[in-house]
Parts: sequence; structure tokens; C-alpha cells
Amino acid sequence: MSTITELARLLQLASPTLPVGAFSYSQGLEAAIEAGVVHDRASAEQWIGELLELSLARMEAPILVRLIEAWRTDDAAGAARWNETFLASRETSELRAETVQMGYSLCALLAQLEDAAPLVAMEEPSFPAAYAYVVARWGIAPQAALVAYLWAWLENQVMAALKAVPLGQTDGQRVLLSLGARLEAITAEVEALEDDDLGACAPGLALLSARHETQYSRLFRS
Amino acid sequence: MRLEDPVATAGWQAELVLGFQRRGARTVLVTRRHDGPLVVQKPLYPEGEAVCHTIVVHPPGGIAGGDSLQLDVEVGRGGHALLTTPGAAKWYRSAGAWARQTLALRVAPGAVLEWLPQESIVFDAARARLSSEVHLSGDARFIGWELICFGRSGSGERFTRGSCRLSNAVFRDGRPIWLERGHFDGGGKLLASSAGLRGQPVTGTLLAVAPEIDDALLGACRQQAPLRGEGAVTRLPQLLVARYLGDSSEAARRYFTALWSILRPALAGREAQEPRIWRT
Repeated sequence: MSTITELARLLQLASPTLPVGAFSYSQGLEAAIEAGVVHDRASAEQWIGELLELSLARMEAPILVRLIEAWRTDDAAGAARWNETFLASRETSELRAETVQMGYSLCALLAQLEDAAPLVAMEEPSFPAAYAYVVARWGIAPQAALVAYLWAWLENQVMAALKAVPLGQTDGQRVLLSLGARLEAITAEVEALEDDDLGACAPGLALLSARHETQYSRLFRS
Repeated sequence: MRLEDPVATAGWQAELVLGFQRRGARTVLVTRRHDGPLVVQKPLYPEGEAVCHTIVVHPPGGIAGGDSLQLDVEVGRGGHALLTTPGAAKWYRSAGAWARQTLALRVAPGAVLEWLPQESIVFDAARARLSSEVHLSGDARFIGWELICFGRSGSGERFTRGSCRLSNAVFRDGRPIWLERGHFDGGGKLLASSAGLRGQPVTGTLLAVAPEIDDALLGACRQQAPLRGEGAVTRLPQLLVARYLGDSSEAARRYFTALWSILRPALAGREAQEPRIWRT
């Protein structure tokens, strides 16, 4: 595949228009707003940045890297193991339900576009497992796929902050500029992590996310 | 000898293996083997024959760099064992070597294991690795908790140096249902972050694992709240998870004990009765 086609495919996969419902999840951000932890641009940037660094980069992203590698080498059993590991590491009911729903949606979509048999055969594919399958299937370079995954997550968090804090559009772009500049270092860290170093225990996030399950008024499903 | 582990072999190496079997109506401690300073007191039966209460004692009282404690527990088919500890585990400051505690807990079909230790206090500059693996078979049930206090917070000490690595996993029939690993570096970002410990010294996790956790049980657990600090409960497949974050080990323990007294009748068919050692 030409570099340009590969880039187009990657942009399609990481786009907010990918119909997997990412926009309906805030991953604890809404609960952080309710708790007063996030209330303006600076606090939103801090919360999102810390989640990126302390949670996403320590578990979800390195598992994505392993899932991509597994699918690229047709190792469906390896992909299944990492998928199980990822699901077992979800801190709360909502965080687990989110990745399972998005994984299911991407899997169902893909089955209409492509040969998705190995993915369809997987029990409860998480979103990273499904995303990784597409990356392998479309021949996208793993590192670019990782950066795009982190970026899509970041963009989704900022969009949630725009609605829920709320923040202005320009402030949202400022947060993206600032946190986007950290992706290079974070990507390097993610790629360097050994299996034994994976681990993203984040008690504050887990507590807020669990609270969100009974939060009275909410816009988001997580 | 590895570079990062300069005096690893100088510490106490302790290992304790416990095996419980159901004999008629009684759960009997049939295997008790130890090597080094990790022992059990005489098994107790404060609630009748069916449940064997066992107190795991580490006579040195504190765990220093280079020490390694290993506890292996197996509960056979239909047995019910409750394990606790007589006091807080103290993890001393280390000049560099890691101190380790490794738990391997196996529970057979129809059996119940409760692992309800008192808190671990991780002193400033300690290097502690606490890991546990719980392996359940069939319809085995497990209730366990872990309470960690970073720094001797009673005297105002903070966890500014050193490191604490937590790793907890639960498997049923070989498949993971819970995996959590945390790397808490003294003075690190995770301690201060709102997504992490939020500057609080005490964190705890309670896990209740059973084939089914119903809505009523989840709802009842959600009614509980700690007297100080914050708590929350969530449900995952085969698993109820409660968390505590705050400044009081005592409040955390009371919160978890209150949850345990709701969970135990539902999951193990018995009223909760606090081990007397907790009151001494």
C-alpha cells in the first residue's frame, strides 16, 4: 500500500466519525467534573494529561502495541490472551462496558467491509483488540497506529470537556496543542515498556468512575 | 546477584504453605509447612467446625529490604478458611534491596477462602513488592482485601522516596478475571494526581469473587460509606470491587469490614463474625 493510502486509512480509522460511539464516553472525566476536580481549561488539561501518562500509557497503549504485533503475525491466540488481560484490567463496570461496546461495534462494522473472521471469532473483543486488527489488516505502520490511537483518545477527551466543563473551542485547541506535544515522549515510553512493567493502578480514577455509575445527572456513559 | 538487588540474599527468606481440607463437617488444616519466620498459630473455630480461622504471623514484625515472604494457601473442595494477621505489616526503609511478599492462593470448587489481613504500612524509602495470585476453580469463592498506608502517616511521615509495586490477579479456571498492577514511586506523580492517590496516604481494594454478584448485593454495598475518606463500589463479571482512598487505615478497615458483613452471608452463606484478634 502506498504511504498516502496508508495515511488515508489511518485517518479513517482514528477519525471521530468512525461509527463506534466513542463520543458517548468520558472515561471518568464527567465524574471528575462532578467532583470539582476539573472545572476549567487548566484543570481539564491536567486531568487529561495525567490520565494519558499514568493510565493509558501504562496499560491500554502497551497492550495495543502487543495486539497489533499479534494480529500482524496471525497469532490469534496471542491476541486473545492480550484481549483477556486488557479486559481483566478494566477498573470499573463502565470502563469495561465501554471498551466491549466499542470493540463490538468496530468488529460488526468491519465484518461488513472486510474479511474479519479472526476478529469475529474472538470472545468479547475489546476496542484495542479490534483497532489492532484493522491496523494489521490495512497494513498501517504500528507506531503511526499507536500515535493515532493516543491522539483519538485525546481528541475524544477534549471534546467531552468542551461539552461537560464546558470549555470554548479555542481552549479545546489549546489543550490539544499542549498535550499533543507530549505524544512523542509518551510513544517512546509505551514502546519501551516490558511486559512486567505494565500496570496502571489509578485509585482516584477508579473511584470516580465507580461513582459515575450512580451519578444522578450525566451526559456520558462513562 | 543482580545489580539492583545488592543485598537480596541477606534478608529473611520465609515461606509458609497451608493446605485446608474438608473432613466431614469440619475444615481441617492438613498441611502446615514453614521455612523461616512465617508461621501460623493454632487453628481456631470461633464459628463452629465448618470454617477454619487461621492467623498468619510474621514474628520479626517488619519487612526489610532483601526479605522475602511467600505464602501458599490451598483450600480443598468444600472447605472454608479465613486467614488474617495479628497486626499491621511494616515495610521498613531500604538501602536499595527490594522486600517481597508473594501470595499464591488456590481455591477448589465449592470452597471459600477469605484473606483479610491488617494493613501494610510502607515506610518512607521502603522498596516493597506485594503480589498476589488467586486461582479459583469451578464455583469457588473468594473475599480478600489489601490496605496500604504510604508512609507512617500517624506521625506525619510521607512517602517521598523508595517504591511500592502492587500486583494482584484473580483467575478462574485459568482465565484472568482481575488484574491490577500499580507502581507507586515515592514522591511520584501517581501519589499526587487526582487520578492516583490524590495526596492521600491510604488506599485499599476489596475484592469479592463469586460466580454471580446480583443487583441487590451491589445495591446494599453501595449504601455503605467510610466515616473518613472516600469509598466506591463497582461490579465486574464475577467480581465486586470496593475501593477506599483517604487518610485513615482505621476508617478503611471499618468500611471494608462493613462491606464484608454484607458480602459474606450472600456469597458464603454465613454471618460475618469479626476475628477477635482485630480487637486486640
